[in-house]
Amino acid sequence: MRRLLSAIAIAMTLLAAPAQAQTIGYADAIDILSKSCGADIQKHCASATLANFGIGDCLSSSPISNTCSTALTRVTASLQARAEAQANAERICATDVRRLCPMTEAGRGRILRCLLKAAPSASDACNTAITNAGWR
Amino acid sequence: MMTRLLMAIACAVALPIATADAQTTLTRNQIVNSLYQTEGTVARLDPIALEREAAVRAASGGDNATGPLSDNFRRLPQISMEINFDRGSARIKPESYHAVGLIADAIHTPYLMGQRLVVVGHTDATGGRELNLRLSKERAASVMNALTTTFNVPPSQMVAIGLGEEQLEDPGNPDAAINRRVQIINLGQ
Repeated sequence: MRRLLSAIAIAMTLLAAPAQAQTIGYADAIDILSKSCGADIQKHCASATLANFGIGDCLSSSPISNTCSTALTRVTASLQARAEAQANAERICATDVRRLCPMTEAGRGRILRCLLKAAPSASDACNTAITNAGWR
Repeated sequence: MMTRLLMAIACAVALPIATADAQTTLTRNQIVNSLYQTEGTVARLDPIALEREAAVRAASGGDNATGPLSDNFRRLPQISMEINFDRGSARIKPESYHAVGLIADAIHTPYLMGQRLVVVGHTDATGGRELNLRLSKERAASVMNALTTTFNVPPSQMVAIGLGEEQLEDPGNPDAAINRRVQIINLGQ
């Protein structure tokens, strides 16, 4: 019984892990900005473009509302964290790759797909890096 | 018995998570599924040659395009999305930021990572053919620019072309809204 319970505990931890991402995706980030900064975008950034960080740059150099300012800080931090997770995942998961995907040819997301399949056996650090990179 | 119990627990744990962001997950994953390439979906398409052909046709005059440029399109993994732009301009409207963000999220998954993608702009048949061609090129480029700068997609992975009104989705109703679309096509690796 104790073994069953600990197996369940492990299963629950693993299943819960992807939901605890410390970062958000681009669509969610943009949604937060649209909701909290819609009026400010309309007022100050009517000609700013989505490309080249146009909206973010315009908002951060405009007299925006407190709600928008808080949202902008949060979204910027989260997107930076995601970019960092993407950049660092290869290093963090290097041992897992050698252990779990030794025969996988590198490139085009193949190793990542192998790690996703092997998630229950991968290290917590690697699983967290993959989650925070938005790769699940 | 043990396996079934574990599975039941797994479902119970997974369900609330799935419900919490079902909307986002589903939609991003729908884009991934539509663009995911299998061996059965490989077809050849030269986007630049296709755009050149569209330009020749648009310059040939006449009010409306005569027929589709290529049937190769249908055999490739693709998705058509409604992205709204300012009138007569390539500026993406804020209401469509979410859609562009979703495309970015999909491209960043390991299932589309490193695939070569074509962003294709289309207009309806309202207005001149050459003007429509130019506008569709600018709009496709605008979507690609947003993806490759703000949304961190590697530029080497993408090319943008415009086909104006030369490849209508619904040739029977050339002015219908369904023709105004941005199409993403996966050319594979």
